[in-house]
Amino acid sequence: MEFFYFLIRRVFWSLLVLFGLSIVIFVIARVMPGDPARMAMGPRASQEQVADLKAKMGLDKPILAQYGQFAVGLLHGDLGLSFLTKRPVNHDIAETFAATFELVLATILVAFVVGVPLGVVAAANKDGWVDNLVRFFAILGAATPSFLLALLLQVLAGYVLHALPTTGRVSPDSPFTADITGLLTLDTLLRGNLGGLSDALRHLLLPTLALSAATIGQIARITRSSMIDVSTQDYIEAVRAFGVPDRVRMFKYMLRPAFVPPMTIMGLEFASLLGNAFVVELVFSWPGMASYGVRSILQKDLNAVMGVVMISGVFFVVINLMIDVLVGFIDPRVRIRGARA
Amino acid sequence: MRSSLILVLGLCALALSPTFAAGHTVTVNTVQIFGTIDPAKISDYTDYMASANLYDGLANVDPDGNLVPELAEKWDVSPDATSVTFHIRPDAKFQDGSPVEAEDVVYSVERLLKINQGPANLFAGVLKPGSVEAIDPKTVKFTLLKTFSPFLATVPAIRIVNSKIVKANAGADDGQTYLSTHVAGAGPYTLKSWDRGSQMTIERDPNYYRGWGEGPIDEVRFIITNDEATVRSMAASGELTMSSQYQSPDTYDALSKMPRFKIVTGVTPVAFYLKFNSKVAPTDDVHIRKAIALATDYDTIHNTIIPGGELTGPLPKTFAGAYLPTPAPKFDLEAAKAEIAKSGYAGKTDIPLSLTYVSSAKFEEELALLMQSNLEQIGFKVTLSGEPWNRVTEIATKVETTPNVTEVFFGPTYPSPDSMFYAQYDSKSAGTWASMEWLQNPEIDKMIDAARATGDAAAQAKIYKDLQQTLIDQQTDAFLETQVVRHAMDKCLDGYVPVPMQSFDYAFHKYKWTCS
Amino acid sequence: MSASVSAASVRISIAYQNWHRFSRNPTALIGAAIVTIVVLAALLAPWIAPHPDHVGAIVNFRVRHQPPSAQYWFGTDNVGRDIFSRVLFGYRISLLLAAVVLGFAVPVGATLGLLAGYFGGWMEILIMRLTDVALAIPPLVMALAVTAVLTPNLLHAMFAIAALWWTWHTRLIFSITRTLRHQEFVEAARTLGASRFHILFRELLPNCASAILVKVSLDFGFVILIGAALSYLGLGVQPPTPDLGTMVANGADFLPDRWWESLLPGAAILFVALGFNLLGDGLRDLYDVESVR
Repeated sequence: MEFFYFLIRRVFWSLLVLFGLSIVIFVIARVMPGDPARMAMGPRASQEQVADLKAKMGLDKPILAQYGQFAVGLLHGDLGLSFLTKRPVNHDIAETFAATFELVLATILVAFVVGVPLGVVAAANKDGWVDNLVRFFAILGAATPSFLLALLLQVLAGYVLHALPTTGRVSPDSPFTADITGLLTLDTLLRGNLGGLSDALRHLLLPTLALSAATIGQIARITRSSMIDVSTQDYIEAVRAFGVPDRVRMFKYMLRPAFVPPMTIMGLEFASLLGNAFVVELVFSWPGMASYGVRSILQKDLNAVMGVVMISGVFFVVINLMIDVLVGFIDPRVRIRGARA
Repeated sequence: MRSSLILVLGLCALALSPTFAAGHTVTVNTVQIFGTIDPAKISDYTDYMASANLYDGLANVDPDGNLVPELAEKWDVSPDATSVTFHIRPDAKFQDGSPVEAEDVVYSVERLLKINQGPANLFAGVLKPGSVEAIDPKTVKFTLLKTFSPFLATVPAIRIVNSKIVKANAGADDGQTYLSTHVAGAGPYTLKSWDRGSQMTIERDPNYYRGWGEGPIDEVRFIITNDEATVRSMAASGELTMSSQYQSPDTYDALSKMPRFKIVTGVTPVAFYLKFNSKVAPTDDVHIRKAIALATDYDTIHNTIIPGGELTGPLPKTFAGAYLPTPAPKFDLEAAKAEIAKSGYAGKTDIPLSLTYVSSAKFEEELALLMQSNLEQIGFKVTLSGEPWNRVTEIATKVETTPNVTEVFFGPTYPSPDSMFYAQYDSKSAGTWASMEWLQNPEIDKMIDAARATGDAAAQAKIYKDLQQTLIDQQTDAFLETQVVRHAMDKCLDGYVPVPMQSFDYAFHKYKWTCS
Repeated sequence: MSASVSAASVRISIAYQNWHRFSRNPTALIGAAIVTIVVLAALLAPWIAPHPDHVGAIVNFRVRHQPPSAQYWFGTDNVGRDIFSRVLFGYRISLLLAAVVLGFAVPVGATLGLLAGYFGGWMEILIMRLTDVALAIPPLVMALAVTAVLTPNLLHAMFAIAALWWTWHTRLIFSITRTLRHQEFVEAARTLGASRFHILFRELLPNCASAILVKVSLDFGFVILIGAALSYLGLGVQPPTPDLGTMVANGADFLPDRWWESLLPGAAILFVALGFNLLGDGLRDLYDVESVR
């Protein structure tokens, strides 16, 4: 029951955050100078054509009416038309979101699978050479521009080793499409298409590496410090006194609570991860929401920009909600005092 | 006779179909996404590239700019040049097999005018709803609102849609939703797949009414990327058959070293200008404009930055009849200083000058830096700004936001000198990116209108030559060069020939695969 | 008199202790060394750059695309300018960007954090929910969006980043202040009738100083990286002014043959970000503020 109230509370705050976000986005979008209708019509359109479209899009109405239009649309999942692709923005984003989701998911997965064991090992060898190495790589990872790492990987894999594809999500002649979940790796797996799976994984590898470098370091460091933290707690001593074997103690009583900080960090860092995805996707021509976003931003595609920022925000809020629920599950104390400081 | 020909073609198609799977696929990269495939909305170079393959028009354009039959086998122009009657080929049919009829043409034009986007601006003041009528199922008559000599040249921009299919899927928006993802036309290729951000694949329609020659291209994949490294790696892996025309010189170098590729060049009528805003200081002073043109290092531009064909005035040589031969411009800093001395800025230093270029093109930035370095030697203070293309079209809408100098490519959108003059120098075009000179000169408008209103070719050529001399005297622009298009192409692929209209040179019906 | 002397000597001895611990922390030392080098290089660029004129309106197509050599340490770019000289000047933009963003974000963020932490109640709810909203937008995306709205340049990008960056400082100061607000020295000050201003900025703020210092050092690295990413994506400064991210983006077209044009400016960004991260990491150990990230 208390978990239920915790959930309700979290969902309520999440909705409030989204409401705030929508206001921020509307304000940003409406101070945009320039003429979105002119851009929508292309450079060769006449003035009459532009005025015509303006009226059709409601851009000649007062700001408040436009806000109403925007808010109502938002509630219906309608983000307006993209001037660049001349299609509804929600269609565009739906088409590109899966690619971004797959990349981000793979990155989080890699960050945890690599980062947590690194942190555990570092904690077990506190101040030893492994610990120092982990620390150095964590700092290096945080200091490396994601585009530099992406370019390096691309050059290394594509030109020097000729080993991996350096752009896109599938080979151009590949007949595979992501038609079940939208995640190419998962769909090819579900269809039992191993050729397709290997193609998808080969394409996924480099962008994931470029994107996860910074996060692996963060996760490793947080795991390390929270392991050290937990190991000095009284109840661990008690567990040891009861004669629970080392391995069980490590995994059941230490790792489980020690898992909480890396997860919360992941949630907070998610925004910057998504930000880096913008750069990495562009370098690898990854057909995701971020490439779409950068393109529409550079081309001043008003509705698309609003849509991408909004969806980024929603993505962030949903991921954090999920993490909080998960953390509440792992660590019952959280449910009472709230997931965050 | 004709029916037997169809029979033979049909048999050929049948005979071909077993080998279809092993057909020739061309993979070509394009640097920007396909905005739309709806014939009533196509506006840019890439849009037309898709449209040239997916749809047919009543007429097409040949490399010399002449109108050639397509869906229409012939047409008659009335003596006063205000009406044109097109006779549709009896065998013309859409991709679904139904015949192309006059009512389809009427519907296509009415839809175009109603949606009022894309090519509709070519017909403003020329056609109105009702201007096009079906005489009989295979005859359609266009009645113009006024004499408009370039009209025929604009006909290829009318892409004919299948009215039955579109009406059935019209919805509330005249089929805009439907045609944004479906093709309902008579073109030689059908749409196979389209992932907006990354690729479009089109497939040969073996039953295309005009038939196919030898070695037809069965499938064309447009891969959307403007990344040089990607293009090079696709070429190295054997994936790429043809590059876009926008690669960097280094990429062409790299590809030309690969045994599989040849570099195909073609001089286009697309002209590269430095457009001078004639309504803001200091470029409102003709001597300042002449000084900037003299401070332009044409040799470095041709030899190092971006090779191109000769351009000596506002009109490229392609339009041979109307072209006025003039001496090539020269780079001469001393003469440039002399021009400044004649200007209202004599003796001044740090004359502020803004120069804008398209940021995505590396050579445009190199040219901007070259201009800056030379102009600052003769007393200017140059502010550079690289902008995305959309932003350039936006700043062009107001005279105050139009920079002193802008690097712009402009090519004819229909095969007539009128396209070059009207879109760039007529007052009615002011506020568009093509017209960043802001001439707004009644004399020049009068000349353009006079040329439009005459059907007499010789009189028209005379007007155009006077017009060129006036523009050169006014130094409205620095005339840099015409664009030389370069493609790295597989040695087995043939068929690229520049056409003076949009991107009609990428109609792959005209291409062939020469290897077995 | 004697009290003040002893206070001064205590201060000196604390400073000495700090220096002693600092000097034995290799991470902090290396970081400080890198940061010093970069700051000096940026400040002295006009005097130490081998070709200081190459940051201005100059082209030399005859020596374009030269590989690194004794004359051009980092090679030359596509119009024949010395990349090393341009990197030194490029550091000026990077450091300026970070300084401006943090110059706004730290005071604003710290003040809001103090208010929320000390007063709690509706003030806490209002401020902390605001940080939740701001936290949900990736700074890079926000900067891109705002610059798309205005003219795309680095100045506007700075505004956008600053408009979000304060949240991190607010959260940090909030969590520290909340644990401090009922401590004896705060209660004592309150009993003695100290003003709220005094309690907030004279009692609580000094206790956050070390955490802020660590955070600022780490943030310098992060903000420089975001700035570089933005200019890499095409929101740089006006040419010909050199800017590291733009240089990488420009040079990337010439990979892999002319690797120096992108990788060396890229390495220069890595160098400065590494310096600030090492320094921040070392300071974190020094002040024992593990919670600061």
